[in-house]
This record gives sequence, structure tokens and C-alpha cells, in this order.
Amino acid sequence: MKADIEFTLVHDGRRWVVRNETFEAQGEQFETLDADLKRALLESGRFSRGERITIFMGYDFDTIPTWLRQYHTHYFNRCVTVDL
Amino acid sequence: MTVNRKWTDGMLSTEDWWAVWLGLLMFFAGLFTIWGVDLVGWMTKTKTWEITNLLADFSWGKLVAPAGKAYKEMHPFVSLLTTYVVFTALVCVGAYFQRLNVKRFFWGFTVIFFITWSVWIIGHEAHFKALKTTQSVMQSEIYGSDVYCTSKVNTCSKEINKALKGLGVNTAAGQQPDAETAAKAVDEAKHAVRLSWGLQLGGGFSYMLALAVGLLIGNLFRGLAGFLREAAKPEWFIKTAIVYLGIKLGLMSMKATGFAVELALAGAAATFVAYLFFWPIVYTLGRKVFKLRRDASAVLSSGISICGVSAAIATAGAIRARPVLPIAVSMLIVVFAMFELVVLPTLYSTVAPDQPIVNGAAMGMTVKTDGADAAAGAILDELMVANHYRKTGVQWEPDWILSAAVLTKIWIDVFIGVWAFLLALIWVYKVERKPGQEHVGPSEIWFRFPKFVLGYFIAWFTYVGIAVWFPEAIKAASAGANIVQSPMRGMMFMLTFVAIGVITDFGKLKGMGRLAVLYAIALFAIIAPIAYVVAYIFHRGMMPPILTG
Repeated sequence: MKADIEFTLVHDGRRWVVRNETFEAQGEQFETLDADLKRALLESGRFSRGERITIFMGYDFDTIPTWLRQYHTHYFNRCVTVDL
Repeated sequence: MTVNRKWTDGMLSTEDWWAVWLGLLMFFAGLFTIWGVDLVGWMTKTKTWEITNLLADFSWGKLVAPAGKAYKEMHPFVSLLTTYVVFTALVCVGAYFQRLNVKRFFWGFTVIFFITWSVWIIGHEAHFKALKTTQSVMQSEIYGSDVYCTSKVNTCSKEINKALKGLGVNTAAGQQPDAETAAKAVDEAKHAVRLSWGLQLGGGFSYMLALAVGLLIGNLFRGLAGFLREAAKPEWFIKTAIVYLGIKLGLMSMKATGFAVELALAGAAATFVAYLFFWPIVYTLGRKVFKLRRDASAVLSSGISICGVSAAIATAGAIRARPVLPIAVSMLIVVFAMFELVVLPTLYSTVAPDQPIVNGAAMGMTVKTDGADAAAGAILDELMVANHYRKTGVQWEPDWILSAAVLTKIWIDVFIGVWAFLLALIWVYKVERKPGQEHVGPSEIWFRFPKFVLGYFIAWFTYVGIAVWFPEAIKAASAGANIVQSPMRGMMFMLTFVAIGVITDFGKLKGMGRLAVLYAIALFAIIAPIAYVVAYIFHRGMMPPILTG
């Protein structure tokens, strides 16, 4: 699925954090993360209110400990459609 | 930053893909013997040696030798150094692309390599490894019960029979020698040696010794273990070895195609049935008895029921769990896999010595992590073949028991991508349905697919293809294939044993509480018994071919 905007996703031990070169948003649950992301996108002025966009969040596997990476190479990616 | 976005992502940066590249590189190099070019014969192979003989007149040629006939003039020590240089160069290139610390990896791998070879050579001392000749097992009253083989049993037995023929006794025609003639024939046989005692452990002794050395380093010499950890990659080593094992299965399929196919299909069916029991039982136990959270129960159930660490991470990802959860579960899995590796081969070979394939398949469904499973399968194979030979004088063809263990595990690995995808659909669209529209793409299956399996099947089917379409090339193809599937695979197994010991720290079990208790109960009271019953249902009656000629 083609995304309108892409982010990397990590977990800092307490919160989910998404970021790219321009934006950063966070939340303890995915609902709060998505809400914070919506706010950041609207505040940027790049997207208008009411617009429907698809967001790709790819988990940064480098945050998994090195010793574990030899067992598996993927955590998950989120692809979310939101109405701003 | 590593994010899987395109289907090609990870091809240069993951150990899974690097197992494919290392595996296929040697696989293709081995194929060149079809055209008369030996690109792999420099590889060192171990030889069975005897301590008094070595001390009386030391030579490297008694311990190791180049594996290819084209390299028979190469000094054995040069062959060992060449093996070191080639493999160190290859794994360091892999380490570079995997963004490991190449300098630390180089030094770590160098130490692991030489520990591995030292242990492997020690493990080949005749008192530990050598099996008795067929004559010594079956007719000890004539030949004595102290005649051991420093090569394959059949080779050695044939040498004795040939010597007897030269002495006027044709055993093929049913003639039997007297004790004096038999003793002369034994003396003439190049690979027969008389020993005052022998454990007859076959190659299994080297594996157990390597594991013991690795565990000693990992638990008693933690400073050294920390230094080696960058290069201690048992999953990478074993996945490469499994690609080489595909070649072996291809060669074995040439002789027993029906049995190989039957083994593969039975493994797939058994795995599927076992899944249906394992996961729901462990999940329910976690939720109802141990009162674990839904996500913890799901991650643990997958880890213990399916394919260990890989399943725990895949499931945690599928249900969007916090990463700390699969990390904690993975520590448990790695440590418990070590218990399984140490206990199960001896247990199965003692309790069910006449069920080799059932034991192998049960091992594949019980032991989590590819490294521990293949390692346990290899030990089981060596123990059962040697034990059966000691008791009956009949030798099963080696590696079929190991293949049964690996095949069931491979089906489990393949299935994890599909299972995680289904779980993600259930979790995202049903269990934790949110107002936002999150989509789960089928690409998640591919990202979780174990890529080394591709190398395994390519190697397997290529040799089956050669047998079917170019039967005249089998002999030439086997020359290169035998080097890759035997000494190279053996070395990767040995590296795995040392590395898996180095990274296993039993101290990590501290503080695991309920998770560790649930894991132990589920593994030994649920998974192991069910796996054995399912393996028995699908594999009963299957026996490895008997070694002849």
C-alpha cells in the first residue's frame, strides 16, 4: 500500500515513538500515538483538516538487542489510514 | 536504522540471508567438480587418530588432511590455514554488511575457530570416537573384541576381508579364519587398530565436548565470553550448515528418493498437527493458571510451541507488543534450549533406541531455536547410529535422523510467517480493534519467512535434478558435494556448538519468576510428550536405510 508519509517506529521503554526528518510523535498506546501524530501533522500545515492520509510506520529493528537479531529479522510495520 | 519496507530489504544486512549466500557460494563452488574443477578440495577434514601412535611420531597428517583428491599434495596444516583464511574472510564480509564490529568479529571468530578445531581434533581421538569393526562386533571370539576402525566401519571391515582373501580365506564364500589368521588380517588392514578401551561415541563426542567448552566459557569465563560474543553467532552458523545439509539430503535422495519425500511430507503433517495442540494449550495455561496478560501469554505460547525466539519476536510483532516482552521470553528460550540440547538426545536414544526417525522428528518439534535443534539432532544421530551398531552390527546410514529433526523444524520455521500473519489479522481487526484503520499487509509473511530455507531447498532439489536429468554427472557432482556437505557442514556444526555454549548464560534465569516456571512446565509436561506422540503417529515404522558396501 502506498503511503502519503513514512516514519520509523521505536519503543523507548515507556512510549511508542515515530519520527522522520520533519516530525516526531509519541504515545504510550497506539491510540495516543496516532492522536499525537495527527496533531503534529496538522500543526505542520502540510496536510489540511479533514484530509484522509495513509501513514507507514516501519519498526526500526536496530533497537532490538544485537544478540537477538540473529534469530529473526522483522518486528512489525504499521500502515494506518487516518482522517485528519 | 533498519526498516523492512521492500521485499529485497535485509538481503545484505541479515544473518538469515548471509546463511543463504555462504551456503550457496560453497554449494555452487562444489558443483564445479562436474566439469573436473575442484574449488573446494582445500577444505580440511578431520581424521581419527590414536594418542600413543601420535606421540611416537607426530605429524599433522595424522590429525587432518585436505578433503579433495586434487589437493592431496597440500600440507595438512596449510589446508587448515586455508580453511581458516577462506571462512574468516567470508564471515567478516558478512559481518561488515550486517554492520557488526568487524575488528571485534575478526578476533572473536579467530578464537572460536581455533577452539573449535582443537576440540574437533581432540574429539577424533580413537578411544573416544572409533567404532569397532563389524568383525569385532559380530565374531569377537575369532577377531577379538578390541578391533576398532579409524575410518568408516564398512571401509575398515572390507580391508580386513581383503587381507583375509590374500591369506587364503574367502569370507564372501562363507569361509571363516582361525584366530591367528584373523589377527594377521587385522594387522594388515590400514584402518584397523587394537585398543584396550573405547567409548565408541562416533562424532557425537566432538559435539558434546564443543558444547561443554562453550558452556564453560559462557558461564565461568564471562570476560572471554563477552570478547567472543560479537562473533558467536550460532544461528548464522547453523543456518549455513543447514543449507549444506540440503546438499546431503539431495545426495541421500538420489539413493532413497521415496524415503526422503516420505520424511518431508510426514514432517510437514506432524508439524501442522502438533501446532493445533501446542499453542492453545500453553496459551490457556498461561491465561487461566498463571494469570498472565494476554500479550505475554501469546508471546510465550508461540515461543515455546513454535520455533522459539523467532516465533516469540514474530508473535510479539504481530500483536504489537512492547519489544521488552519478546526480549525477556527469548532469554528464557535460549537457556531452556540448552537444557533440551543436553538432555533430550541421551533420553530419546536410551528410552527408544529402535525408533530413530520418530526420535529425530520429535526432537525437531520439541527443541526451540534452529541451532539447538540441529545440534541436538546431530548428537542424537551420532549416538543412535553408534549404539545400534554396537548392539547389532548393523549400521544405519548417518544423517537421516538429523534430517528428520531438521525437516520438522524447517516446516515449523516456514509456518511461523503465516501464523504471525493470521495472528496479526486477529489482533488488529478483532482483539484490539481501534477506531483508526490499520492494515496488515501480506508482506509481513515474507519479512518473517526464514530465508535460509530457500538455500536448503535449492541445494536439495538441484542434486535431485542432477540425478533425474543428468545421471551421468552424479559421480563427478558427488565429489564436490561430499566436501561441502561433510567437512564444511561438520565445521559449521562444530562452530555452532561452541558459539551456542558461549552465548548461553544460565544466570539469566534469575528473576524470570512465573514465566520460567510456566516455560518449564509447558516444555517438559506438554510440548515434549505431545511432540513425541505426534512424531510417533506420523513417523512410526520409518527406519534409516542400512549402510552397505
